[in-house]
Amino acid sequence: MNSDDLATADPSPNRPAGGILPWRRVALLYAVGLLVTLVPLLLLSRNFFWLNIITYTYLFAGLAVAWNIIAGFGGQFSLGHGVFFAIGAYTTARLFLDWEISPWLGLLPGAIACAVVGPLIFWPTFRLKGSFFAIATLAFNEVALVLANYLESVTGGPRGLQVPFRAAFKNMIFTDPRAYTVLMFVFMAIAVGISIVLMRSRLGYYLLAVREDEDAARAAGISVIQVKLRATALSAALTAIGGGLFAMYIRTIDPLTLFSLPDIGVKFALLSLIGGMGTITGPVLGAFLIIPLESYLRAVFGGSGPGVHLILLGFVMLLAALFMRRGVAGAIDSLRQHWRHRRSA
Amino acid sequence: MDILNILVVGLLLGGIYGLVSIGLNLIFGVIRIVNFAHGELVMLGMYGAYLAYATLGLDPYIAVLLVVPALFVVGIIVHRLVLQPLHAESNMQIFATFGLLIILQNAVLAITRGEGFSVPSKVAGFTFGVGDIRVTVSRLVIFLALTATAIALHLFLKRTLIGKSIRAVTQDRQAARLMGINVERTFTITFGIGSALAGLAGVLLSPIYTLSPGIGGNFILAAFAVVVLGGLGSVAGAYFGGMIVGLVEAFAGFYIDPELKQAIWFLIFLVVLIVRPTGLFGQVGAEEVGFREQN
Repeated sequence: MNSDDLATADPSPNRPAGGILPWRRVALLYAVGLLVTLVPLLLLSRNFFWLNIITYTYLFAGLAVAWNIIAGFGGQFSLGHGVFFAIGAYTTARLFLDWEISPWLGLLPGAIACAVVGPLIFWPTFRLKGSFFAIATLAFNEVALVLANYLESVTGGPRGLQVPFRAAFKNMIFTDPRAYTVLMFVFMAIAVGISIVLMRSRLGYYLLAVREDEDAARAAGISVIQVKLRATALSAALTAIGGGLFAMYIRTIDPLTLFSLPDIGVKFALLSLIGGMGTITGPVLGAFLIIPLESYLRAVFGGSGPGVHLILLGFVMLLAALFMRRGVAGAIDSLRQHWRHRRSA
Repeated sequence: MDILNILVVGLLLGGIYGLVSIGLNLIFGVIRIVNFAHGELVMLGMYGAYLAYATLGLDPYIAVLLVVPALFVVGIIVHRLVLQPLHAESNMQIFATFGLLIILQNAVLAITRGEGFSVPSKVAGFTFGVGDIRVTVSRLVIFLALTATAIALHLFLKRTLIGKSIRAVTQDRQAARLMGINVERTFTITFGIGSALAGLAGVLLSPIYTLSPGIGGNFILAAFAVVVLGGLGSVAGAYFGGMIVGLVEAFAGFYIDPELKQAIWFLIFLVVLIVRPTGLFGQVGAEEVGFREQN
């Protein structure tokens, strides 16, 4: 799986002309890529410490891919995806708690709700550009946090919701933690699959056109707002599903967790940025680097003083920002091009 | 509690929001960096006041003279080392300031071991009253400091050569560069001034709040709301934007529900952002200049 081969998402204008890959080659790359991401699971499945980390890695890889659809491909830097995440989590948990609706089905209403709510709340904000858009969407996150604390009958207020441990396949509650890992892996695989198909579809090309130059896209007859809204619906719905899975995995959700900026709302952006925004592999790479690193640092340095592991993480972020402007995927890409250049010269 | 009392409470609260926002407004308005770490600069100012008290026994109102220049230097260093190299990468700048936020917050946490400090001041605790209305000196000082800072900053931007170059760079980077203005240096100075103002806010807030490493988070979103509400790069905008947010919070807290007061001013913020993205005092068209045109 490499962004350069897979799709049109490469932001660099001077990528070598290769045309569009045939579907069979794409499917092969997709399968090989997924197999590679399975390696840590196969190697470490007996170690419960690492298994938990891998589970989170898959989940957040899927979530970052979902965020990347509107933010990376569409250029709309949203910091409000925590809202969709929370809607998904609350809906799934609430339906299960109140009406015993299986979370397998309960994921859908949240996704549908976000496919409607997402475009609805983003629609007025799409007038704003760049950092204004980012701040406005950040405000959504904060309003939703206050409302979630306030609407106790729906969200359980500050205490949150607890899902009782009743292990059964139909309850999406498992005694074997590996089941969750596989579940999150499937979520990630579906999210990546959707974004591959999207980037080879008409909507995908429109999205890139809108990101590169809105006026030019409009002049070419693309309905800019419609493209943005559709991509938002898709991105929000996928994020909601991730939220539902998260709720069933940790089984206790409260507003401070769901609307946390460093852990949820801004995290999606950080993972994608560090991996490479606007590429298909970037968000996955970012999640595979940051989530284990974060957990590892916490385990190793967490005892040597409060906050030490986070200082290190902050420095990693700073250095990544300074030295890998286009993320890991971008860095790999320029290395490849450099190498190809030298070989042909 | 009568209306007059709520009005005073709201205005004094607005003073806090305004003082925290005025530096952010300068940075956001001129350099267009979404500086997530601004709340942490305020936090550093607070701990600076504590340090001056603990080592030198200084009253925070005297420590201002030390802490504000120190934060000016911190701002210059941060801009030179971190933000300037990323000047064409707005998304990465957001990312980098978030990294800074995490580093600063946790460095202070690691050093203080999470202990909450308070900074005593000989004068801050006094209250005086007119009729039923009681006002604490510390809050009144903040209000007066904001007013003085706003006027001084306004004069600085209008009258001095550096101020003029800052305004020129805000309006059109290319043209400013062609006129021989060193754009990079202007940005660095602007960021330094913005940080110094954050430090000022921190020192003056230190007698009111118990210090904790995460305290910056209480101010940052309110500050962004004030900036957008008032208008980018407008000193008057930060001043009156702060007042509006303070008043809305006080009135909504009293008449609607204290728990919802934040949601209400966030909603107002969103409405302003959508109806009038330039803010109340901003220059029309300022928000249209997206990331790409900024290089």
